[in-house]
Amino acid sequence: MRDKTAAVLPRSEADLPGLSARSSVPLGRVALLALAVATLALLPFAVTGYVLYIANLLLVFVVLCLGLHLVIGESGQFALAHAAFYGIGIYTSGLAGNAFGWPFPLSMLLAGLVAGAVGVVIGAVALRMRDIYLALATFAFGEAMQWVFLNWDQVTGGPNGLRISPARLGAFEILSDRQAYPVVVVMTVLMLLLTILISRSRLGRSFRAVRESEVAAMAMGIPVRRAKITAFGLSAFFAGVAGSMFATFSTYIHPDSLGFQTTILVLTMIVVGGLGSIAGAVGGAIVFGLISEFLRQTPSYQEIIYGLILIGFMMYAPRGLFAFIRDKVGGGTRG
Amino acid sequence: MADHLLQVDDLTVKFGGLTAVNRFDISVQRGTIHALIGPNGAGKSTTFNCISRFYQPTTGRILLDGADVTNMPASTMARLGVARTFQNLELFGELTVFENVMIGAHVHAGGTWRNALSARPAGVVEHVEHLLERTGLTPYRNTSARNLDFGHQKLLELARALAIRPRLLLLDEPAAGLRNREIAALDALLTDLCRREGITILLVEHVMQLVMAISDRVTVLNFGTKIAEGTPEEVRNDPSVIEAYLGQEMAHA
Amino acid sequence: MTLDVAFLFLQQGIASGLIVGSVYALLALAIVVIFKTSEVPNFSQGEMVMAAGYIALYLLVFQSLPLWIVMPATILAAFAGAALFRRLILNQVARANGSPVNLVIATLGLSYVLRGFVRQTGFGDTPRSFPPVVEPESILIGQASVTTLDLVILATAIVVMAAFFWMFKYTKTGRAMRAVGMNPKAARLVGVDLTRIHMIVWGLSGGISAVAALLISPKVLMTADMGSIVTLGFAAAIVGGFTSLPGAVVGGFLIGIIENLVGLFITSRAIVLAPFLAIMLVLVIRPQGLFGGRVEIKKV
Repeated sequence: MRDKTAAVLPRSEADLPGLSARSSVPLGRVALLALAVATLALLPFAVTGYVLYIANLLLVFVVLCLGLHLVIGESGQFALAHAAFYGIGIYTSGLAGNAFGWPFPLSMLLAGLVAGAVGVVIGAVALRMRDIYLALATFAFGEAMQWVFLNWDQVTGGPNGLRISPARLGAFEILSDRQAYPVVVVMTVLMLLLTILISRSRLGRSFRAVRESEVAAMAMGIPVRRAKITAFGLSAFFAGVAGSMFATFSTYIHPDSLGFQTTILVLTMIVVGGLGSIAGAVGGAIVFGLISEFLRQTPSYQEIIYGLILIGFMMYAPRGLFAFIRDKVGGGTRG
Repeated sequence: MADHLLQVDDLTVKFGGLTAVNRFDISVQRGTIHALIGPNGAGKSTTFNCISRFYQPTTGRILLDGADVTNMPASTMARLGVARTFQNLELFGELTVFENVMIGAHVHAGGTWRNALSARPAGVVEHVEHLLERTGLTPYRNTSARNLDFGHQKLLELARALAIRPRLLLLDEPAAGLRNREIAALDALLTDLCRREGITILLVEHVMQLVMAISDRVTVLNFGTKIAEGTPEEVRNDPSVIEAYLGQEMAHA
Repeated sequence: MTLDVAFLFLQQGIASGLIVGSVYALLALAIVVIFKTSEVPNFSQGEMVMAAGYIALYLLVFQSLPLWIVMPATILAAFAGAALFRRLILNQVARANGSPVNLVIATLGLSYVLRGFVRQTGFGDTPRSFPPVVEPESILIGQASVTTLDLVILATAIVVMAAFFWMFKYTKTGRAMRAVGMNPKAARLVGVDLTRIHMIVWGLSGGISAVAALLISPKVLMTADMGSIVTLGFAAAIVGGFTSLPGAVVGGFLIGIIENLVGLFITSRAIVLAPFLAIMLVLVIRPQGLFGGRVEIKKV
């Protein structure tokens, strides 16, 4: 008992800089942050457009991971329809641009709101269930949405996919990955800050309370169902925004990339990073995203290595990459 | 202002064909410590869960300060100043001691948008720190709740309930599993909460040492029915109570 | 649509539905038996089916072995593979003390490995067909047209299910499995070796998946992605209540019939949608499924 107490880092607070009362931000974290800022700022000057495309895509996945983190990591609700909300975001912003020529900041907002609204409605029904039943119900919703994307030809282009016209703001048009990059970076940072804000706030605390014990949360005056629906709606909002970010640099979307595989990819990222931590969600998206990218040329190896990584992590680093590193570096023993 | 902070009238709870509580009444006087005792399976916890609104009674009325709360959802009770602890500990295990108590203050941490979004809403953190101090949990402030030892976990549940700033504190077997020294400390703490801060306490308890020491009034349940009520002295000498407990002893033997 | 045609469609839908449904029932059984004993929804079930199908294909076509060797060999290989996965991998995952979902993620990992492996061998690149076990001849039952192969599929599935239920109900191992399903801690206290039971459960699930693969492969084109057929098994399991073995069987037949009726009466485009709608409907209207027990009140 004793050694456990000593070694355990308070997970939920550890990744929220400045929340801890005796707030001395560790040097390592500052260095890491500086490195991240420098990398993001200097990247466009150093690399090709293709690399920037990958960077954009990774950042979209970061936002997807932040969204799934809110509902699974913070609130403990296994909702598996993330790709569907991502798709709703892509189509909404794509169509707002294609059909009405909306400026992209507006279509981004719309994408988030539409996805979030659908999320609230679905959540209101699905969140009466828990655990495996919730997972399967949302899985089924996700698959049904993919079917809609594939068959609603007039709107989504069906199996032919949808061409997305360039995002515009007045006379300015985003025509390349390089032009989209600053937009994508700014959005990612905004969504990251929003996540931190939510997580630190009373709302985030009520999410974690629901995750840890629904009965105790209720006794503390937290309306449990409303908290769950809020988390689910927010997660859908994030996925919608991620979709609209994708639409700024991508010219084409096909329903094939909006299925369960994508949801699982995002889930995998947050689990590999470390479930329940924001740093884990971001880190998982980047590390795992890079791995998939490097393996893209050899799909069969990609799948095998991907699977082995998942299994290996579950066997030997069940609390994710960051907890694993922390334990190894700190030499701490975990209970 | 009603004389009784809590009044339960004619409470009956049925699970399927089983009547767990039968036409039970209880009135808890403001500013007192009231104990609900009885042998295992007497219906104490069921009654307790009805009052805290976790179970829905089949018939009957629950009045809090004269207002009918029989159909209130459990999550509004905190806002009405009713806090509870759990028999089998329901802590937020992965979260720190500090965060557990902060969640207890949930209903006070909102109010303004600024407070709702702030990690350290004004006034709340001070109160939480004070409660940690008072329950002796300050050294464990940043420890995960599940890594505390049992005695500290019980204290944490109490501190978390107090963060609600309750008028009525419902304690489900607060002394169960504690050592004698810990029970003595609990005794002092509860007496202090009631006498100095005027918090009304209703507790379900098996540890007679604690019940007899601190209660102003004791209600005894057996087979879902009230069999006695009075001061600890009166109840201790009541023949039907002795019989109920003896019968249980026999059954156990 | 005239009434005559509607009646014909109905007969055909039910007949075809029962046949594919028997395979879905096997898949659902394989899913539920694992979930019941370890609360893990096995997301690699589909890939276990796929892998077993390819093992059979390899032995039959590339090694030219006779069917009476291929069948038991495939089932045995799937049994051993699944049991070993449970013993070597999942045991360690469970010991590693993470979130309960980690076990599920590990099964996802297995599904990727199996799929990647089949692609790597090159068999999965081109859709292949599996030689039918009997020459299909058309037969009319009422007005519904089925083939001899269909009848063999249905009969085999029913025999396997009957054997499974007999084992579950009457053998010592079966009783131990039920005990683990009801209360693992108590089962351990009365001397049930949990590790062994979990291995056998996974093995059985793998074996049943192999049977399903042998039955379904002649009727579908085999690809590395054919594991997605297990979605129908999940739908069947949910309709049946997810923890009920008889429910899984009934659910399987129901899903098969619904799927065929939707295809005949509405549109073939909607066939793939049917199972998901069934999942959502059942979960919303009757979350415990047709055969699931009452939802209990949480004791506090």
